[in-house]
Amino acid sequence: MPDPVYLDHAATTPVRAEVFDAMQPFFGPRFGNPSSVHRWGREARTALDEAHERVARCLGASADEVVFTSCGTEADNLAVLGIWRARRAEGRRAVVTTPIEHKAVLAAVHEVTREGGDERLLAMTRDGLVDDSSFDKLVTEDVAICSVMWINNEIGAMQRVPDLAERAKARGVVFHTDAVQAFGKVHIDARSQKFDLLSLSGHKIGAPKGIGALYVRRGTPLEPLMFGGTQDRGRRPGTENVAMAVGLARAAELAVAEREHEWKKLEALRDRLERGLLEKLPDAVIHGRGAPRAPHITNISVPGTDSESLLMALDLRGIGCSAGSACQSGSVTPSHVLSAIGVPAELAGSAIRLSLGCLSTEACVDRVLDVFPMLVEKARRLQTA
Amino acid sequence: MGERVLVAMSGGVDSSVAAGLLVKQGFDVVGATMKLFCHDEDLPDRPCCSLDSVNDARRVCQQLGIPHYVLNLESAFGRDVVRDFVDEYARGRTPIPCVRCNTFTKFRDLVRKADAIDARWIATGHYARVVDGVLRRGLDPAKDQSYFLWGIRGTILSRMLLPVGEQTKAETRAMAHELGLELIAEKTESQDICFVPDGDHTKVIARQLGGDAPALSRGAFVRRDGSVVGQHEGFARFTIGQRRGLPGGFAEPMYVVEIRPTTREVVIGPHEELAGRGVVAREVNWLVPPLQAGDELEVQIRHRARPVRGTLVRSEADEIEIALADGASAITPGQSLVFYRGDVVLGGGVIEAARRELPILAA
Repeated sequence: MPDPVYLDHAATTPVRAEVFDAMQPFFGPRFGNPSSVHRWGREARTALDEAHERVARCLGASADEVVFTSCGTEADNLAVLGIWRARRAEGRRAVVTTPIEHKAVLAAVHEVTREGGDERLLAMTRDGLVDDSSFDKLVTEDVAICSVMWINNEIGAMQRVPDLAERAKARGVVFHTDAVQAFGKVHIDARSQKFDLLSLSGHKIGAPKGIGALYVRRGTPLEPLMFGGTQDRGRRPGTENVAMAVGLARAAELAVAEREHEWKKLEALRDRLERGLLEKLPDAVIHGRGAPRAPHITNISVPGTDSESLLMALDLRGIGCSAGSACQSGSVTPSHVLSAIGVPAELAGSAIRLSLGCLSTEACVDRVLDVFPMLVEKARRLQTA
Repeated sequence: MGERVLVAMSGGVDSSVAAGLLVKQGFDVVGATMKLFCHDEDLPDRPCCSLDSVNDARRVCQQLGIPHYVLNLESAFGRDVVRDFVDEYARGRTPIPCVRCNTFTKFRDLVRKADAIDARWIATGHYARVVDGVLRRGLDPAKDQSYFLWGIRGTILSRMLLPVGEQTKAETRAMAHELGLELIAEKTESQDICFVPDGDHTKVIARQLGGDAPALSRGAFVRRDGSVVGQHEGFARFTIGQRRGLPGGFAEPMYVVEIRPTTREVVIGPHEELAGRGVVAREVNWLVPPLQAGDELEVQIRHRARPVRGTLVRSEADEIEIALADGASAITPGQSLVFYRGDVVLGGGVIEAARRELPILAA
C-alpha cells in the first residue's frame, strides 16, 4: 500500500519539531513549580511569564490577558460560563450563539439554560454565515455574552468576527470567538478588533494535545470554573503546565509567522482537490462554498453514498479523514452543522470532511483524487445492485 | 494478506474469539461494532449506546492488531427490529427481535458495509455452522443458535464465517485465554435483549406507544368458556405458557393459553389447553429449495425446544401450515418456527397461529 495520507488536520496535527525541542527542558532539568520561591521555581516562572507574553504578542494582547487552559474546550467553557455567571446579576440573562458552534460552546450554553439563563441561536445562511438581521434581533441589551466561532471546524465557514464583535460591544454585550480553527489562518489582533474573549487550542497548530488558551480582554468580568490556588489571578487555579505553555507559545509564533504563506499553500491544494473532485463527481456538493471560508477544510457530499462506509473504505486504503462529529461510542452521527445550514439529512449523511495542513502535498491530494471517486462509483454500484 | 472479513463484534467472548480465530487463520480482519440504540436517560450509568460493549470490542481489536469501527445502524435497527418488537407485543404476540436483527441488521445492513470495504466475508460469533453453503446447527447443543438465523437470505450463506460454531462455549472461553483476551474471556453472557433495559420489555413498549397503550392497560383474565376470573395490567406482560402473574385458587396449575388483543383478554387454562397439533407460519424463508406439501421435516417452535416431527400440509406464497405428528405444547404466535432435517436448517417462518386439531393434507 502507498504511504498513508492524513487529511484530518482540523481534528489534530502532529507536534512540530521546534515545539518539541522548546518543551523538552521542562520535562527534564527545568521541572520547577512556577509558584515556588527558589531557583527552580524562578526558572519555571520565567518560562511561563515568557509564554504568556509570547502568546499575547501573537494576539496583539498583553500578557495578563492570556489564560492557559487544558484545551480549547476548557477555554470555551470558561468564556461562556465564566461570563454568564459574572454578569447574570446585572440582569443580562441571555446568551447568544450560533447553531454551528463546536459542542464545547453549545454544551456550555445548554448548561447556562440549566442555570436559569436564556439561550438564543442565531439564524444562519445556507453557506454557514451568521444572518445579519437575526444578529441585530437577538443581540440586545439583556445579553451577557455572544459567542460566534471564527472558522467553523466542519465546513470552514469564516464569520466576520471583527464586525460582529463591534456590533455586540455597542450593546454592552461581551463577545467571545472560538478561534481554535482560525488561529494561524486569519489575522487576529486584539488591539484593532473588538472581541473580548478568544479561545485557541494547541494541538491544531503543532503543539501537543492538552494545552489551550483563552484571551480575556482587561476589565472583562469572569468567574472561574475551578477553585484552588491563585494561579493566573485565580482565573485558572492549578499548577501551570509550563512545558505545554512553552510549546503553545512556540507553535503560536510559528503559526503567525507562516500564516500568509500557509494560507496560500493550503488554498492552492484545496482548490486542486475540489476542482479534481468536482470534475470526476459533477453532482458532488461542497458545503459552504459560496461564502468566505478557511483554506484548509473541504466538506463534500456525494449523493448515493454514506459517510460511514466511505470513511471506512478510505481508511482501509490509507486515507484518513472524518465525517460529522463522533459520538461517545465513536460512531458517526449526523452533523449538527450541516443540518443547521439546511443541508437535507440524506445529503448530510454522505458528508466527508477533508482537512489540509502541514502534512499535505500535491501528491496527497492526487491520491485522494484517484481513490475517492473510485470508492464513490463503487458505493453507487452497490446501492443500485 | 488473506481475504478481507468484516466481523460483527459485540464486545462479548464469542465474537471476540471469532475475530481472533480469523486473524490466526490469516484473514484480513476488520472489526465492527454496531451501534443499534441509545438508552438515553433510562440507564444513567451507561451514558451512550451500550458504550461498555463498544469499549470492550475496541480493546479486543487493539489487542488483535486489527482496525475497529463503530457503525451507526440505529435508525434502521429502530425501524426493522425495535418497532416490530413493539408492534408484535401490541398484537398480543411474543416476538424474537434477535431473529430480525440477524435477518435485517447483521446479515443485510452490515453486509452492505462489508461490500463497501471490499470484504469478501462477513463473520459473527454465532454458534452455528455453514458447511458447503448449508446452514447447520452449532456443534455445542447447549449453545446452538441456528434457531435465530433462519431468516437470512440464502445468498449470504456463501459469504458467512461462523468460527465458534465448531466448538463448545468452554472451548471458546479457553481460546479467549489462549489469545490473551483476558478482558472478555470470562465475561458473563447477557440473557437479556440488548435494547431492553433491565429485562423489562414493557418499558420499551411504554416508551414507544405510551404507558396507556391498550397492550399495557387493564384487561380481564378469562377461561375458554368466557368466564372472567380476574384482572391483569396489560396483555403485553404475558406470553403463551406463562404461569407467573396469574390469578390463584384453581385446583390445577393454570397457564396463559391465548391472548386476545382486540378485547384485551388473557385466556388461562390448564396444561392440556396448551396442546397444539398443527402450526401456521408466515414470512417463510427457505435456505434450501422449498419443500412441497406432503414433505416431512422436523420443526422447532422455540429456542431450546426439542425439534418435533411434522408434515407440510399447505404451502402458499407467504403462509404455510404444518401438521405435528406428536403435537407440541405452547405454540406461541410471534416466535419462530424453524425447519430442520437433522442439523441442517431448511428455513423457517414466524408463527401465526396454533391449530388444536391435526391439520389434514389438502388433496
